[in-house]
Amino acid sequence: MALKYCGSCNPLINLSQIGHDLLTAIEKEDDLVFVSPESTDINTLVILCGCARACGNLIETRARAKRSIVVAGETIDMTPVAEINISGTLTEKLRKVK
Amino acid sequence: MGMMRGDEYRDSLRRLKPEIYYLAEKIASVADHPAFMPHVNAAALTYDMARAPEFEELLTTTSHLDGKKINFFTHIHHSTHDLIRKVKALRALGQHTASCFARCVGHDAMNAIFSITYDIDQKNGTDYHPRFINLLREVQAKDLFLSGAMTDAKGDRRLSPSQQPDPDQYVHVVEKKKDGIVVRGAKTHITGAVNAHGHLVMPTTAMKEADTDFAVCFYVPVDAPGVIHVFGRQTNDDRKCSGCLIDQGNAEFGIVGGEALLVFEDVFVPWEHVFMCGEHDFAFELVERFATAHRQNYGGCKAGLSDVLIGAIYGLNETQGTAGAAHIKDKIVEMVHLAETLYCCSIACSCQGYQLPAGNFIADPLLANVTKLNVTRNVYEIARLAQDMAGGMLATLPSEADWRDSVVGKYVDKYLKTSAEVPAETRMRLLRLIEGMTCGTALVESMHGAGSPQAQKIMIMRRANLEHKKRLARNLAKIGE
Ligand SMILES: Cc1cc2nc3c(=O)[nH]c(=O)nc-3n(C[C@H](O)[C@H](O)[C@H](O)COP(=O)(O)OP(=O)(O)OC[C@H]3O[C@@H](n4cnc5c(N)ncnc54)[C@H](O)[C@@H]3O)c2cc1C
Repeated sequence: MALKYCGSCNPLINLSQIGHDLLTAIEKEDDLVFVSPESTDINTLVILCGCARACGNLIETRARAKRSIVVAGETIDMTPVAEINISGTLTEKLRKVK
Repeated sequence: MGMMRGDEYRDSLRRLKPEIYYLAEKIASVADHPAFMPHVNAAALTYDMARAPEFEELLTTTSHLDGKKINFFTHIHHSTHDLIRKVKALRALGQHTASCFARCVGHDAMNAIFSITYDIDQKNGTDYHPRFINLLREVQAKDLFLSGAMTDAKGDRRLSPSQQPDPDQYVHVVEKKKDGIVVRGAKTHITGAVNAHGHLVMPTTAMKEADTDFAVCFYVPVDAPGVIHVFGRQTNDDRKCSGCLIDQGNAEFGIVGGEALLVFEDVFVPWEHVFMCGEHDFAFELVERFATAHRQNYGGCKAGLSDVLIGAIYGLNETQGTAGAAHIKDKIVEMVHLAETLYCCSIACSCQGYQLPAGNFIADPLLANVTKLNVTRNVYEIARLAQDMAGGMLATLPSEADWRDSVVGKYVDKYLKTSAEVPAETRMRLLRLIEGMTCGTALVESMHGAGSPQAQKIMIMRRANLEHKKRLARNLAKIGE
């Protein structure tokens, strides 16, 4: 899996913290490996965007991976998720798709 | 080479030998001198943030020259998306420095010179554009930071460059040689001049035939012989010492960009670095394109700075027990409204940008000037509201040294405390941050940086399209039917 940020111009959620929490959680998972978002072999790409504008959610970015999960402010794939639960919900989703 | 990190940028400055003076001292290394370090740190963040995954989407891009990954501050805008991205990048950097990071001026100069050299070549058959492309390749490959030096000393403001009793009041060509030109004069208030790698020098005003020698645009390395920098004083700059870290407010990044008087004492510039020499009929267009690019920025960076200021004053109100009061909430909302208005302006002029003959994009000039004119007002009002809510302690707060003192420290601490849970130090730190952002030099930058209000009004008048507005009114009033 890989992580791609939108650019973080004025995020409504603490993107760096969520990214950090996600990395820490994934490190503990046996079958999940982080790769660079530039890699050509990405199973799941998490696109972390600070607001509903979702600047990071581009067709060309999504095309880098087999599937993507888009965080846009307090939503994951358009479903509302409180900020505090975002990294946990992402980890759950990644476990399911691995 | 390639994109630098912040520490590589600092090292690159250490390898240069520019002539810099401050308080009558010749400075050996800007990267290591306390007066300059905050400005070096702010510029260094434009390098470090570009390499951080959270920000790389904003602060890196692909060179249109060779397809390589470059720092956004060396990019030529090729879409309105690029223009919007610049505004967002400036906001992000403003949020993380609460200061000026200086790199946008040279970036805007690059974009203006890229387009004007193309136009001159098209008309006159000169080769300025390929020369500039060569420099641009070097800037992108080495990730250089260039200052943008436009504002001349100007002498008597009523007189044109050629009418000045002292011609050096405007930078001008004193000699043309086979291999280059010799220039003399000075540029004033140049942001980041002392911690840049080189300077892009442009004319400052519209010019007529008599001003031909003053219509000159060129590049010089920061340590070219005859280039002399005299660093300007800032409000409370004597606090830049190790015992005054709290007193500085923003010790890491300081206030504004660190400006210098940039003197050219018979400086030789090889032809390969000359991008306009005598084409007085293009001087105004260059000024307008640079001004448009630069005025476009201000709702980005100032919104970012305002985000920090709003956070500081909101936090201070919480420590002082006033955050719940209705008038405080109203003032905070007003600050947000004023800051987001500026951001709206910058985004709007970027969305309405268009392509120039050289292929690059420029923001809408009318809306960019409206942006900057609003900055000359809104930033002052934002600061006024912050000062209102901060209370008089903003102007009378005892020093960090007295707070730490074994005799009076206990009194300072006791009488600065506003609630049992919050240490006095928190209040002191917030007050000093707000002081630095709202008093003195920081505000003047919003007034005069990128041009004084009248300069924007002149541009707005030129593009106001009053005849169209008159026609609309005449039609509806059924005049002359
Ligand atoms: C913090 C800061 C950073 C800056 N950074 C840069 C930089 O990086 N690069 C750069 O090139 N410049 C920079 N500037 C310069 C800025 O663009 C100028 O300050 C601005 O254009 C005003 O010019 P001036 O300071 O010479 O003031 P003046 O031109 O003297 O203006 C003072 C007042 O006089 C009025 N005035 C001026 N001329 C006339 C006239 N002929 N008739 C009637 N009224 C007139 C003006 O409208 C204004 O109200 C910076 C300025 C500041 C304060």
